[in-house]
Amino acid sequence: MTISLAVPDILVARAKSGDLEALEALYRAFETPVYNLALRVLRRPEDAEDVLQETFLEVVRSIKQYRGEGHLWGWIRQIATSKALMRIRHDRVRETEEFHEESAAGAGAGEAAGVGVRAGSGGMSPGAVPAQIDLERAFEQLSETSRAVVWLHDVEGYTHEEIAERMGKTVSFSKSQLARAHVRLRRMLDEGVAR
Amino acid sequence: MMHCTMDDVLALAAGEASAWARQHVAGCAACRAELEALYQRVAQLKALPARRPARDRWPAVRDAALVERRRRRERWGVSGLAAAAALAGLLVFRPFWTKSVDAAELARVKEESATLEQQLGRYDSDGRVTSGRSAALAAALEDRIAVIDGELAQVGPSEAQARSADLVNLWQQRVDLMEQLVSVRVTRAAYVGL
Repeated sequence: MTISLAVPDILVARAKSGDLEALEALYRAFETPVYNLALRVLRRPEDAEDVLQETFLEVVRSIKQYRGEGHLWGWIRQIATSKALMRIRHDRVRETEEFHEESAAGAGAGEAAGVGVRAGSGGMSPGAVPAQIDLERAFEQLSETSRAVVWLHDVEGYTHEEIAERMGKTVSFSKSQLARAHVRLRRMLDEGVAR
Repeated sequence: MMHCTMDDVLALAAGEASAWARQHVAGCAACRAELEALYQRVAQLKALPARRPARDRWPAVRDAALVERRRRRERWGVSGLAAAAALAGLLVFRPFWTKSVDAAELARVKEESATLEQQLGRYDSDGRVTSGRSAALAAALEDRIAVIDGELAQVGPSEAQARSADLVNLWQQRVDLMEQLVSVRVTRAAYVGL
């Protein structure tokens, strides 16, 4: 996903003055990345759309507080991440979903230290690159928390410290979630679960 | 043979691996393959196709923003009444002041302000926005007027004497801003044919 996120300074200045046309232009510029971040974390399109709307309501309210330090996308992304994570925390379905995943994954937590057991077995060879659609479907089968950690760390570039702070968890929680998620992704891809 | 864990592999990718892991991966094809597979998974996650929302949520965002602005204007209206009440109080208690406030000047700017309020009422916004720039300008003017109203509302009779010149000045500023606001509204009304 390669999208140009550069916006002219004059547009930002107009948006900060409350210009609705400029604010709409910002919405159009960042609509797709915000929606995709939310969609990857929350999976349900309607939830992602809600996060998109909540994010830009916040942008419209708070754009005056943006001081131009750092890229505007970084500022908007923080809002979007916060909204998406808040939705996870308030999502009662999450517990059920995670329960099912834990059940399906068996000793998933213990497997975080299990790369070595694949030596000599039928593990994925370096040349066996899984198809993108398979990875996408496998990724969707992770829990919301795991998806959030993987997406924020691997794609958005958040550090474990930043993820831990935003999720109200510890750094070790973020690291272990990432490791467990990658073990599961690898296993699903190896076993063709997502195919 | 002991191999790297996923924690080790992730630490290798992040450049934070232990000396043992770094040494091991150099001589272990299986763990190098695991590291390569991690790189590829991450690259593919980053390359997932962008999805677009099925519905355009901007109208909902815009409408909510306009509602908030309207509420802010209503609050500003309350502040304006408070300011008017404060001014009335100042005029009522004027005989108690040792030095007279320039009542004529105050009355003039007050009357001017009231006239502008009436004009503004004729062009009151109904939430329709024809130009983002004019809406932003109007909102900025309203914000500045609200600030002045807040200052006026805080001036009680006990302070009026010491701040008589300030009062005239504040009311004059308010009138100037009101004139600009009316101008914006008149332009808008002409544009939409009100």
